[in-house]
Amino acid sequence: MGKLERLLNLIAALLDTPRPLLIEEIRVRVEGYPDGDDAYKRAFERDKEELRAMGIPITVSAAPGTDPPRDGYRIDRRDYAGTDPQLAVDELAALHLAATLVRLEGVDGEDALRRLGGVVGSEATDADPLAAIPTPEALGPLFEAARDIRSVSFVYGDEERLVEPWTVTFTRGRWYVAGHDQRRQAERRFRVDRITGPVTALGSATADRPSPEAREPRLAPWQMGDEEPVRAHVAIDADQAPWATHHLGADAVTETRSDGSIVVELEVTNRAAFRSFVLTFLEHAEVLEPPELRQDLVEWLEALAP
Amino acid sequence: MNRFTASERLGRLLAVIPWVVDQDGVSLDDVSARFGYPRERLEADLLEVVQYVGVYPFTPDTMIEVDIVDDIVWIRYADWFTRPLRLEPAQAVALLAAGQSMLAVAGDDDGPLLRGLTKLGAAMGAGDGTVPLEVKLGEGAEEVLAVLREAVRDHRMVDIDHYVYSRDEWVQRRIEPHRFFADEGQWYVAGHCHLAEDQRVFRVDRIRHAALTDERFEPPHNTGGGPVFDPSDATDVRLRLASPAAWVADQYPNRGTDLADDGSVEVLLPVTGRSWLERLLVRLGPDAQVLDPGEFGRDLVGLAAARILDRYR
Repeated sequence: MGKLERLLNLIAALLDTPRPLLIEEIRVRVEGYPDGDDAYKRAFERDKEELRAMGIPITVSAAPGTDPPRDGYRIDRRDYAGTDPQLAVDELAALHLAATLVRLEGVDGEDALRRLGGVVGSEATDADPLAAIPTPEALGPLFEAARDIRSVSFVYGDEERLVEPWTVTFTRGRWYVAGHDQRRQAERRFRVDRITGPVTALGSATADRPSPEAREPRLAPWQMGDEEPVRAHVAIDADQAPWATHHLGADAVTETRSDGSIVVELEVTNRAAFRSFVLTFLEHAEVLEPPELRQDLVEWLEALAP
Repeated sequence: MNRFTASERLGRLLAVIPWVVDQDGVSLDDVSARFGYPRERLEADLLEVVQYVGVYPFTPDTMIEVDIVDDIVWIRYADWFTRPLRLEPAQAVALLAAGQSMLAVAGDDDGPLLRGLTKLGAAMGAGDGTVPLEVKLGEGAEEVLAVLREAVRDHRMVDIDHYVYSRDEWVQRRIEPHRFFADEGQWYVAGHCHLAEDQRVFRVDRIRHAALTDERFEPPHNTGGGPVFDPSDATDVRLRLASPAAWVADQYPNRGTDLADDGSVEVLLPVTGRSWLERLLVRLGPDAQVLDPGEFGRDLVGLAAARILDRYR
């Protein structure tokens, strides 16, 4: 009996059982394992890890009637299958085309499409890909936690964070996660590629989530900080106004002057990043208020000027 | 496909079995094409493997039944495999992100992409139907993006008003847009520029106006991705970056770096425009020291800082 048949039988047995199975029960139900006890255990462990790596949710819990409790294995059918989106052929083809044009690095998009009903339609052979998006390790677990309203822990900047993720966002070439930081009792945003080590799933999330409209991602660098928030007004010359408006959003513009220049209002919690942003305009922008930030910029420049 | 491993076959079979069960008779060729499963291998795996899968005690009523008649296949009694394996979270993110991006770029009012994405979001998203995912591949004005997409698709020339960041000036030019793509959070359009009489790449968020013309161009055969930044006409500037500014060496193309014991980095940066360098240096402030200013002159930062200060006096 080949490995393929053994693995299919193992999945069938674990899906079929209403209660967790002990490994000796699995041995009786699934043919094709080696004879010796140790050899069998090793082979079963390898199979189990291989199936988990494919995303098959094998759970471990105490087998009924064992005292002291012993590990039993099964697969919950609902966890195995998830919800079927029931995609029509043209919808599958449109998603296939999209997945060939915008790729997530390291993710097998075709395997995903097969799980939804197959890879149909044509690849975009005559067009170049539009974008290849990086896929940090932490991305999948964070999305899952946001979707299932669970909290997670991860290490960020040498510190362990307990976070209830609300949404993951790809913008300016990077992934970010926004959510409720339980220790700080406040909304925080994190760069996903700066998370080190694994994302550990914890229990259900508790903090109230803002509505999707209210949690419009505010990912500007000058908002990624812990400093006391301050509202800054910046004048930007007409030449640069269109770019600034697109970049900051029309809502940020509080005044349009007759010469075409604009005044924008920004909430700042990271003063160094704010200064850096204003300086990208060179002499085409000016911090108007508050005096504190204006003075900060002047001092910075005076240190550089001859 | 020469190497078709047991796990690849297993992954495909977990998708093939429930799909064939639902079809009530489908040709092996269809299954083979749809699931990327070589035809011979598929037939052999169905007859020699799947047919023998079942649960204890392996009596006929607890086994999968496979029938192949005239190349049409039926699978029955596969009670454990009536549904495919769910997507892994990263796979769900990949399809949702690709779909959202394409919708934003290509538009698809009421078309199959929007329908498919809506269904996918309902199935893969949160219980309340929202999808905790947003993807924005690049910056740029909607109307400019729309004009450029149309121009690339229909091979039409466009007139653009483009801000040259490195020289701090606006320039009008006619281009033949060959390719439209996103990289590092920015949209770019690449193509032949009539002004430069050469191939150029433009950042879309620095185009404030784009007008479609009626002139058409012959698209080149190879539009393949050259580098966004071409340093061939650049001058080299040597900087010492204190560790808070060391990101510069990662962020920008350079001709070599040298790491010192104190965590500072020496980097040789190819620079094409004075304004670009001014911006970088006034932002870095004391964390950057100019070791060799190339053709730009030693007082570059000081003069730029003084110019900006004039606004505050």
